[in-house]
Amino acid sequence: MKKTWLIAPLLFALVAAACTGDDGDGGDGGDGGGPVEIVLWHGYGSAQGEPDAEWQSLLDRVDEFNASRSDIRVLPIRCCTNDKALEKLTVALQGDEAPDVTYQYGSSIPQLAAAPSVVDLTEWSQDPDVDWPDFIPGAAAAATYEGRILGVPALIDNLAIVYNKELFDAAGVDHPSPDWTWDDFRAAAAELTDPATQTFGFAFPADASEDTVWHYDPMLWQAGGSILSEDGTQAAFDSEAGVRALEVLRAMAVDDGSMYLDLQNAKIDDLFNTGKTAMVITGPWALSAYPDVDYGVEVLPGFDGDHQTIAGPDMWVVFDNGEERAQAALEFVTWFTAPEQIRTDSLATGHLPLRISVIEEPGFTDELEGSFPGVGVFAENLANVKQARPVIATYPQISVAMGEAIVAALLGEKTSQQALADAAEEVNGILALPA
Amino acid sequence: MERVRRALTSDHAIGWVFVAPSVLLVAIFGLYPILSGLWLSFQKASLLSPVREFAGLENYRAIMDDPRLKQAAINTIYYTVLFVPISILGALAIAIALNRRIRFIRFYRLAVFIPVVTSTIATGIMFLWLLDSTYGLANWALGGIGLGPFGFFERPSQAMPSLVAMTIWGWLGFDTIIYLAALQGIPQELSEAAAIDGAGRWSTFRNVTWPLVGPATLLLVVWSTLSALQLFDEVFFVTKGGPLGRTSVVVFYVYRLAFEQGLAIPLAGYAAAIAYVLFLVVLALALVQFWMGNRMVHYSS
Repeated sequence: MKKTWLIAPLLFALVAAACTGDDGDGGDGGDGGGPVEIVLWHGYGSAQGEPDAEWQSLLDRVDEFNASRSDIRVLPIRCCTNDKALEKLTVALQGDEAPDVTYQYGSSIPQLAAAPSVVDLTEWSQDPDVDWPDFIPGAAAAATYEGRILGVPALIDNLAIVYNKELFDAAGVDHPSPDWTWDDFRAAAAELTDPATQTFGFAFPADASEDTVWHYDPMLWQAGGSILSEDGTQAAFDSEAGVRALEVLRAMAVDDGSMYLDLQNAKIDDLFNTGKTAMVITGPWALSAYPDVDYGVEVLPGFDGDHQTIAGPDMWVVFDNGEERAQAALEFVTWFTAPEQIRTDSLATGHLPLRISVIEEPGFTDELEGSFPGVGVFAENLANVKQARPVIATYPQISVAMGEAIVAALLGEKTSQQALADAAEEVNGILALPA
Repeated sequence: MERVRRALTSDHAIGWVFVAPSVLLVAIFGLYPILSGLWLSFQKASLLSPVREFAGLENYRAIMDDPRLKQAAINTIYYTVLFVPISILGALAIAIALNRRIRFIRFYRLAVFIPVVTSTIATGIMFLWLLDSTYGLANWALGGIGLGPFGFFERPSQAMPSLVAMTIWGWLGFDTIIYLAALQGIPQELSEAAAIDGAGRWSTFRNVTWPLVGPATLLLVVWSTLSALQLFDEVFFVTKGGPLGRTSVVVFYVYRLAFEQGLAIPLAGYAAAIAYVLFLVVLALALVQFWMGNRMVHYSS
């Protein structure tokens, strides 16, 4: 037994090796003379992590880039769903293991501005090869926070009505038209509702998340209201306009019973695809979830002839993992978001084109509409994007307060007026706190 | 020199060497986060920004006037008070039913245990549809016997009981297995002796079975209380705290503060402070339960 103590250092060596062996991101290119490796995070694919057309299109483009460059190698990794991208990134940043390029919601830009290693793209955007002014203005604006450009547009969406043509025809209701008012919308939803077959006219995401709030925002704007006061110090949604907008939804949910409330925000797409709801308000990403429905797309109903919608731009954000990798990442992003790649991706996935030059290309929208029925209307609907949500760091808290106010009214727990007033009081409290 | 050599070759040193890998893992993944969390709770900090200021007890003071936290705390207590007794008594009843020699007994035992090893997400999706007020099977079945219709997760007042029902379904198998093991450890002679003394079924249960499964009951009470107070997965995935915060529980609230709202504004320190208070409450409760339990529970030698 005399030599057993030798085991001690041996075991420690083993443990130490096990703990440091796997670097995970394999990103130490450069010192070996091989290509610089950069890591690209995305959240495409189904919630269960199955590949889809968006994912495939991304892989195809990355392969094309890697084949064309011997000095850079891009490693695409599906980090998570896009909903969890910010959270996952936060953890990675804490561990100093941030990806070089990552997909993020545009609404996360104010948060990301706090991270020291986020790359300021302002200078890069002035490069003529980038052609920054060619990006759709709504998307470019959301990339800018306090004068710094912190993201490159990766996707732009907007909301419109998607409706089931068969259900409309069966009920003898006229299809939605571009000049529909919200009263027309409400009346149609009531007519399309049939308790006997458990069919609803409309279904609404009521989990009090930002998804709930951004369905309400365009209605608020159309009615002439705004989320915050002009100087951003006070809540402004508790106005007459705010109540008028919420009242439409409340009446549909409570008085008419024509609106299915998806309180967990997990069922709407299934309900629409199985013909249990005649209308949804959603974006182009959802169309692929409706293979069983002959659907049509129409712009949002309006108040007083205003049919504006809301855009949800997503971003590529670059992180600094050493100058060499950051430089490689910028070169990749420049290529990846150039008009030619945007065009290819758009036709492969149905994503709305992010470049003005692509939209204006003769015949492009027709080609897009041909492969993805309905997407053409969404592409044209980009012109109805007039306003954006506040780009401030406290927005997530404001969103929670507004989301709960909307759901409280939809459940009939509070009047629209009371719900918005309570939320405004909370929001004013949040805004009053020193930054 | 001799002393060093002896110390190194003693069983004691070798013992440490053998546990070193797990000690190291616990230190890295357990102790370090616990301590850095404690440090964080005294700071004004967000997770994305490197700027961190010492805030003293400010975060702990803020706990007292936070209406959303108050609601989450009440919900957590409500959940625990429903979950712990129902799941334990339910499991005991099922364990007694399964503790006999009948045909297909293995199948029944397996059936009871399967929910425990089913992923929470799968359970969640299933219950979302089962308990859908319009399309769900539950309302259809309950309607058949003249009950309902219920709103379940869609009605603020029914959401928490629905959540309790769902989690009990998922956990019952675990408690049942523990009770089954305890029941099978009861010597046959005792029940026989009780029968000879003229004890009926209830009396046998009351005077023989119940005291003898006491240690299992104590274990389950402590264990279930701890897990109930730290409920997260089901809320996160199924109800998201809604409707109107009626199923928001403390751990879920901490998560939302730190990872959703407090990434750029300094709420992470506050979230850590709440987590620490919860930790102390859980610790104190567990100690009290063990202390009371040990005075009441009968351990057979």
